[in-house]
Amino acid sequence: MDIISQLQEQVNQIAGLTFNTFGTLQRDAPSARLSQNYPEPPPNPTEDAASFPEQPKQMSVALVKAAKQFDALVAALPLSEGGEEAQLKRIAELQAENDAVGQELQRQLEAAERELKLVQELFGQTTDNCLNLKKPD
Amino acid sequence: MATATYPPPPPFYRLYKDYNVNPKSIPEPPPPIEGTYVCFGGNYNTDDVLPSLEEQGVRQLYPKEPNVDFKKELRSLSRELQLHILELADVLVERPSQYARRVEDISLIFKNLHHLLNSFRPHQARATLIHVLELQIQRRKQAVEDIKRQREEVQKLPKEALGTLAGQ
Repeated sequence: MDIISQLQEQVNQIAGLTFNTFGTLQRDAPSARLSQNYPEPPPNPTEDAASFPEQPKQMSVALVKAAKQFDALVAALPLSEGGEEAQLKRIAELQAENDAVGQELQRQLEAAERELKLVQELFGQTTDNCLNLKKPD
Repeated sequence: MATATYPPPPPFYRLYKDYNVNPKSIPEPPPPIEGTYVCFGGNYNTDDVLPSLEEQGVRQLYPKEPNVDFKKELRSLSRELQLHILELADVLVERPSQYARRVEDISLIFKNLHHLLNSFRPHQARATLIHVLELQIQRRKQAVEDIKRQREEVQKLPKEALGTLAGQ
């Protein structure tokens, strides 16, 4: 995949990780004590409580890794000679060179075709002479 | 007729009746459309231009000059994004009712990131064109060299053959 598409995919991945992180944490967080007037909230069932402290760490590690990969992709951008005008000038130069080389190729091809015809004719004559057993001059 | 449930095909086929007899009597294909056109009730445009952020009502965070330094802006937008994510986490802990502003900021940064990446596409297209032209020039030069070499070999052959025959 080309690098801009990779960058776009990486941005979307960071967005996905972000909302997954916040959504999961909001959904699974144990209840907090709002004020001294209310009693302590009931503790969570053990399944959540066991793995819960690990989740923020893992998710933040994933977020930071995704951000670092984005930076690495940005560094890998082949940003050559800035400017639209420079690129358009280079395209014009390359087109001119391409035309010149194309014409040279065309000339060589025509010359080669002519020589091929000549050789074929000579070969035909030679074989005719051979078949008719004519002596060479 | 165009809005009937099962419209009949367009009647142009009658114009091509005599193609076998006289291939030149048929009408030419219509010229390519330019500008805006209507297709299945929708308006489309042949001039594909990425609409700028202001036209979509979104604030642009990176500078608007013609030649923007893509890498620098991408990196600074990425850092802003990480900062805003941390701010959102803080806000959710301290003042949970004020999340909306932070979420708006984060989505603004994402829109800017995507717009910046999309505006890089024409540059990529021109770079691809340059690369393809360079490859084509290289292949043509290679072909010219090959043909020259073959012609020289072909010109050597009859002379060698003549020499061999004369030696007999």
